[in-house]
Amino acid sequence: MTSKAKLLYSKSKVYVHPTPNSKDNIPGFVGLVRPSHAEDSGILVAWVPEDDLKVNHDYDQYVKVDLDENLVLKEALVSTPPPSSFSSYGFSVPIRDIYSIYYKRPSLGWWWGSITINTRGSETLPAIFFHDSESPSTKNEQKKRNKDFDPFSNDGNLYWGGDTFLLYLEKYAKLVNPSGSNNIFLVNPTQEDLDLYSNSNNKVAAKDEEDPFVKVFNDVKWKVLSKLASVTKFSRNTAQQLFDSTPPKVKTLLNIPEVQKVNDDFGSAKVYLAKWALGIAEEAQRSKRKSVYNEGYRKFLKGELGDFELLSIDFESERRNPIGIKEWNAFFDPIGHLVLTVEEVKERIFHGGLQPEVRPQAWLFLLEIIPWVSTDKERKKILNQKRHEYNDLKKLWWDDLENKNHDEFWLDQKSRIEKDVHRTDRSVSFFAEAEVSHPDPNSRFAETGTNAHLEQMKDMLITYNEYNKNLGYIQGMSDLLSPLYVVFQDDAVAFAAFCKFMDRMERNFIRDQSGMRDQLLTIDHLVQLMLPQLYEHLAQADSTHFFFFFRMILVWFKREFAWDDVLTLWEVLWTNYYSSDFVLFVALAILDKHKDIIMTHLNQFDEILKYMNELSMTMDLKDILERAEIQFLNFRKAIDMVDRKRQDMSSSTFLASGSTDYSLTDTEGSKAAKQKLTDHELPNITRDLRNLLSKEIVIVKEVERDPDVGGG
Amino acid sequence: MSHRKKAMLKIVILGDSGVGKTSLIRQYVDNKFSTQYKATIGADFFNRELQVDDHTVKMQLWDTAGQERFQSLGVAFYRGADCCVLVYDVNNPKSFEALKAWRDEFLVQANPRDPETFPFVVVGNKVDIEDNNKRVSTKRAQAFCRANGNMPYFETSAKEAIGVEAAFEVIARNALSQAESEDYNEDFTDAINIHLDSDKSPCMC
Ligand SMILES: Nc1nc2c(ncn2[C@@H]2O[C@H](COP(=O)(O)OP(=O)(O)OP(=O)(O)O)[C@@H](O)[C@H]2O)c(=O)[nH]1
Ligand SMILES: [Mg+2]
Repeated sequence: MTSKAKLLYSKSKVYVHPTPNSKDNIPGFVGLVRPSHAEDSGILVAWVPEDDLKVNHDYDQYVKVDLDENLVLKEALVSTPPPSSFSSYGFSVPIRDIYSIYYKRPSLGWWWGSITINTRGSETLPAIFFHDSESPSTKNEQKKRNKDFDPFSNDGNLYWGGDTFLLYLEKYAKLVNPSGSNNIFLVNPTQEDLDLYSNSNNKVAAKDEEDPFVKVFNDVKWKVLSKLASVTKFSRNTAQQLFDSTPPKVKTLLNIPEVQKVNDDFGSAKVYLAKWALGIAEEAQRSKRKSVYNEGYRKFLKGELGDFELLSIDFESERRNPIGIKEWNAFFDPIGHLVLTVEEVKERIFHGGLQPEVRPQAWLFLLEIIPWVSTDKERKKILNQKRHEYNDLKKLWWDDLENKNHDEFWLDQKSRIEKDVHRTDRSVSFFAEAEVSHPDPNSRFAETGTNAHLEQMKDMLITYNEYNKNLGYIQGMSDLLSPLYVVFQDDAVAFAAFCKFMDRMERNFIRDQSGMRDQLLTIDHLVQLMLPQLYEHLAQADSTHFFFFFRMILVWFKREFAWDDVLTLWEVLWTNYYSSDFVLFVALAILDKHKDIIMTHLNQFDEILKYMNELSMTMDLKDILERAEIQFLNFRKAIDMVDRKRQDMSSSTFLASGSTDYSLTDTEGSKAAKQKLTDHELPNITRDLRNLLSKEIVIVKEVERDPDVGGG
Repeated sequence: MSHRKKAMLKIVILGDSGVGKTSLIRQYVDNKFSTQYKATIGADFFNRELQVDDHTVKMQLWDTAGQERFQSLGVAFYRGADCCVLVYDVNNPKSFEALKAWRDEFLVQANPRDPETFPFVVVGNKVDIEDNNKRVSTKRAQAFCRANGNMPYFETSAKEAIGVEAAFEVIARNALSQAESEDYNEDFTDAINIHLDSDKSPCMC
């Protein structure tokens, strides 16, 4: 049994993040505990998991001290926290054994501030993260400060939970902030410490015990890759030479057929290997998630401290199982009324997608062919009506073929459609066979044959060409139609669905390409805000036109993911759950995932384009969607933070100068004034960015078609 | 000119949708034809090496979209091209008539130093398709090429691998000599600039 000690300070909702997955985060308290009779330097800095406190009944004490603003409590006796425990990440260390504290306040890229303690024995204790938004005492303090118009702490930064920790620690220890670093505090440093520190900053970077596999890999990775880079042709011979000087783990790596086969498309075996390494890192990460208590976690924590832009782990995203028919049917009562809210259904679809047998029903709702609030009977009626509509539209041109066959535009479009249908998704069983001889013996496809589904596709697209006269048929549309047709297996319903889908996709196809331009520009702004380092690199590589996203955005990643994944992706996007432009966050997620490789290896526009094009059919949709969600949540939070900060600034200027409130407008006129204000360099939240928070789909219609202009 | 060789020859392939640009490039690069190639959206490139006389040249072949409006955003890759290939479908007169527009579009976007001498090569594809009364005659195509700066002209079939190697060899040679003359020009202008600079600098301050 440990003896009782006095709890001097405590802060709730301080977490250890053992893995990048927020599910694994462990909540606890950080505290200052004075064992009986201990002097100041014997005071323990401790982090104790909530669960441990519940076991030894100290939990209430920690809560009390945390909420006691003025520390008027005379006595809060707790048991002395153990130095470390096998069962958890908990630790305690006397002040005299602490060498330094690394202090990382929350920032745009990293929502939770954190503190890492380095001991004099060169041990790095797990970083502890202050989840301010969950901690009642921190929230109280923030509210108070906001009320007083002073959200900042003494050092001029936004107040956060770690501030009070340092404040209290300073009562019992001398904290020295060595010159050249504002994130490190040396604790009760000797003169020797200070000298040493200024001589080598390395001392603080404590050695970690890495997962041996990750370590081997990290040590040799770049050596091997750079050797490979200097080998012009990656032949079996040179590979063999490399093998002999390479540790076994990497030998396995080089034996993988894909790597062996590498033909240096742009002189870059290294890129393939780096890509492969990304897969390995992910695999390692995944296996880490499985066991909470493994040695590799410090590796991650170190990475976190070193890199501002690492995937943020404060938001959680986890894909769920797709909705099966049973679950779907349970969403409705016997007459077909939805029993959940639309938002609930969309949330479920957004996070899980649908199983194939649910799609023919669910897509009708998602594409708003039938309203969410309706009965089975009403829906049947609507579908019947859609069938009539399609037949009527089709009949219009079908009965007019005499004339149409003299209309050059029409003939052009028809052959364009024909050509494209024969080049669309031919590996999907529906379209694969060409068993039927062509209805038109003069067709250029008379020789190759066709099938009923290909013919239906042509009819639907020709009908659309007539139906939306100004836009007409444009390449890419056949890619958008084919999944609808295959899912509904009904041309009339597929056509109705296609028209609805095209409502929001029309902006991608309009002649002046302004819709695509706008979206690529929005990506530009998004990357500037969310991945600034990558943006700088892309700018140097002449790639900030983001042309490599053109195809991905135009047909919603149809060409980049396998068929089944495309269906899932589209239904996720159709929910508009977070944003009607969530597709841009999918693009952002892809960049985020590959940014290290891009920044390390790709310096030219053509290299980057090739790399991005070759991601096609290699990407893991589940992972990308999880990243996209996290990117969105981070984005939303960033906007919120910038807005709040701007508001704070403007209200303080308002008080000072009596000027009007201009901080939230993005107009040119306020620029000068704003510049004076924002020496904190707040990012400019453009209207493009703000629009990303909207769930309303953007509809842009093509202008009227000049009869002299073709369909190009 | 043997001193400095450009590492990569950049070749841009243009022409109406469906004339067989992708099929031609893939036939040349992978030696195969597939009916599964999709309509090109955006742009992509493929590399191939080729022995020209005593040295190996590396070609970067840019495959573009025939859908005209998709060109407007993707002209970045026109720049720095060493040769432009104009492709049409011999069975589709429209695609032949469009060649001039493609050529002009390229000159505007790529803005080569000397538009008069910039090398174009014309390729009439799909000669494997027979008895077509609409077919553009070889004569007509040759006349057009002669009238427009003596562009070399080839007839090919990407499907049957007819004429493809021959066409690309000439494309490579043209690109190579274009790259060399650019090199030469650069050296030349550099020399002039240095000369001017040293002349000017005394009176500039
Ligand atoms: N018979 C025959 N068909 C060909 C030949 N070359 C291409 N095709 C066919 O013509 C169609 C279009 O070929 P692509 O190579 O995709 O045409 P493209 O010029 O790249 O078209 P876009 O990407 O839309 O600009 C496909 O159905 C090909 O199979 C050829 O030499 N002979
Ligand atoms: Mg193509």
